[in-house]
Amino acid sequence: MRIRRVLATFVATVSIIALSACGANGGQGEGQTDTKADKGLKTLGVNVKYDPNHLVNKGKPIQLEYWSWVDKEQDPISAMTRDYQKIHPNVTFKIVNVAWADYWTKVPLALKGKNGPALFAVHNSQDALLKPYMAPIDIPADQLKADYTGVPAHLENGKAYYIDTVINTGNIYYNKKLWKEANLTDSDIPKTWDQLVTVAQKLTKWDGSKMVQSGFNLNGDEASAGYPGLWQGLNYQKGELMFDSSGTKPNYKNETTKENMQFIKDLYDKYKVASTAFGVDMGQSFGNGQTAMVYQWGGFAGTLKLKYPDIDYGVFATPTFSEQTPFAYDRYNGESTPGVNKNQSKDQQEAAQDFLKYILANDKFIKDDAKAFNSFPAKKSLQNDPEILSMPIMAAIKPRIDRLIWPGPTPSTMESSAKKSFQDVFQNHKSIDSALDSTQALMEKDIKGTGFKSLEPAYAFYKEARR
Amino acid sequence: MKAVTKTGHTGSKTIQTGKGLGRVFTMRNVSLAALVIYFSVFMIYPIFKAFAGSMHDWNPLIGTYKWVGFDNFRLVLSDGLFWKSIGNTAVFCLVSVVFRIVLGLGLALLLSSKLVKAKDTLRGLFYMPTITPMVAVAFVWVWMFDPQFGMIDRVLGLDINWLKDPNWALPAVIIMTIWKDFGYAVVLYLGALMSLPRSVYEAAAIDGANAWQTFWKITLPLLKPMTLFIVITSLISYLQAYVQIMIMTGGGPGTQTYTISYLIFDEAFQKYKFGTASAMSVLLFLMTGILTILMFKASGDMNMEES
Repeated sequence: MRIRRVLATFVATVSIIALSACGANGGQGEGQTDTKADKGLKTLGVNVKYDPNHLVNKGKPIQLEYWSWVDKEQDPISAMTRDYQKIHPNVTFKIVNVAWADYWTKVPLALKGKNGPALFAVHNSQDALLKPYMAPIDIPADQLKADYTGVPAHLENGKAYYIDTVINTGNIYYNKKLWKEANLTDSDIPKTWDQLVTVAQKLTKWDGSKMVQSGFNLNGDEASAGYPGLWQGLNYQKGELMFDSSGTKPNYKNETTKENMQFIKDLYDKYKVASTAFGVDMGQSFGNGQTAMVYQWGGFAGTLKLKYPDIDYGVFATPTFSEQTPFAYDRYNGESTPGVNKNQSKDQQEAAQDFLKYILANDKFIKDDAKAFNSFPAKKSLQNDPEILSMPIMAAIKPRIDRLIWPGPTPSTMESSAKKSFQDVFQNHKSIDSALDSTQALMEKDIKGTGFKSLEPAYAFYKEARR
Repeated sequence: MKAVTKTGHTGSKTIQTGKGLGRVFTMRNVSLAALVIYFSVFMIYPIFKAFAGSMHDWNPLIGTYKWVGFDNFRLVLSDGLFWKSIGNTAVFCLVSVVFRIVLGLGLALLLSSKLVKAKDTLRGLFYMPTITPMVAVAFVWVWMFDPQFGMIDRVLGLDINWLKDPNWALPAVIIMTIWKDFGYAVVLYLGALMSLPRSVYEAAAIDGANAWQTFWKITLPLLKPMTLFIVITSLISYLQAYVQIMIMTGGGPGTQTYTISYLIFDEAFQKYKFGTASAMSVLLFLMTGILTILMFKASGDMNMEES
């Protein structure tokens, strides 16, 4: 009888503790009390400035939680938290890694309450989910505009909630070993799609009727790689906008998309540089040394570093249909600054804003971010930096930077539905017309009610677009 | 305790209160309360919330909750993908359940016969996939189905891009599901077979029934309650299956392997349209209910006919 009561009490206590733990708020952390405001350090930054010689949270210990989907070792923000702690030893960080697939449900739900993370990684495709919980960056817009490109597109009532740190876009990654084996040199780097086809044919190998090496592979389901990312760039190169004149209706079903889908189909059926039977994931195939060239965005550099560190690869700019300057070379998308949780306590928000100011004023962060994402710095002072320009990818992007277009924080259907379109044509053997029809309908259905409006009209060369 | 009650009015009162609390905080009451709380929070509340949500334009992630009446149902019922998913779900359920039953019963009969040795080891082996997490199993099968280095094509000498071929993607997911789940039916049938009365078999043997007749006329009818149980639990489980779809095909190629539960997942957690996802869930709930009632009714009618 006594044992049962003890057990009952134990169960009840554990339940109460478990329930109360759900609402627990740490926040104090294990940092040391900081009493030294004057750190003897220089002020960072040109327009956005950060003077480290002050106390954060009046020197009292405070812990900031930072949520991200990026691996801790790969995330430049994680490195910056360590540097920041050296300056402000009373501030500690708890870094929580959440898988990308769960991130977009877990984070908004956590931000709804009072105990959500003070800082969290932002991807602008999920702007509508995160913006309601974000505090504006506590830096005057003029200072941000003076230091960073692309700020005006992020302003709402004169305030920015996040801005771009680097400009990410698609490029062609090539395997240097396979390139050499095919007797190709740097002078063979293609500038036009026709040239790429010629090079890809030299890089493709067959064993009878079975492909053993793909010259240019587009197989896969990744959002920004292969067709889902490439269709936008190909259309922009021909001056075709992604949205109609209202800015709210997707413009997928049109002659340009059809023409470009046929071009990609020709890569598989006519030029035979790719095959739907040749693996299911071009990134993996490239990493395994079976594919010579792939179209990928900047994040692919991180994947290669993490999963295939031995692969010797180079990067060159995505070809165009002719050597003339196109309407736009490709779409770009910025990697965003972390968001600050407006539902957190005043102390937490102040400390988070201080950290944000530190990273935005700090060139090291932007350089690390540029390297981590193979992307061009949005910080103007670094756009001519010799160290940055010594990277081949940066040298490839720089001359094109003005001709990269940002359509705004486009809903993910613009990529996920395009993926279905590709599968319908290449795997389900549907006609291009039929695939374009169903994808247009799907995009329209998904985008309805999201409140999205394209920022294409803000592009400097918008008037050159096809009508 | 008794000694304390005699110490005075105040002390007596304290002990009585303690006794009252003791009566409330019994193991039974605490366990029961924990179960009620668990089911209320994680089962009953979400079901009611889904019913209410199906009538709203709902996105809990940003707090949208607007009354739209039956609009979500109209939208869902006029969506071609919904009906395609229903069709895929029907095929998925039917084939998986039939194979689960046939394989489960066949292997259980084999294990209960004198033909097989090392029964415990085999039983454990057959049951192992059932207790392995679906996510892990699905990933392993993705590799096995890979057209470049996958074991299946190599061993069978085939050249099929299983998960990217519109004709093979759904069968591939079904094959994996059957492999993972047949052990459940084996163990249940084995238990049922062991509990069948010996006297009936002895009577059949005296009457001269051969093995085939004994199986059809005695074993199978006596196993009917267990078969019904397996069919209903399998149907409920397969109507809700989406993890293997999410990992192995992502609904593709195109929308070839969308099942109703995957569509609900996609609608709610990829597109954040919880209102239409809830409407689909309500329809799935109704379908499951109707199917279960029909199964019970069919089984009852069969019992009546037999008696």
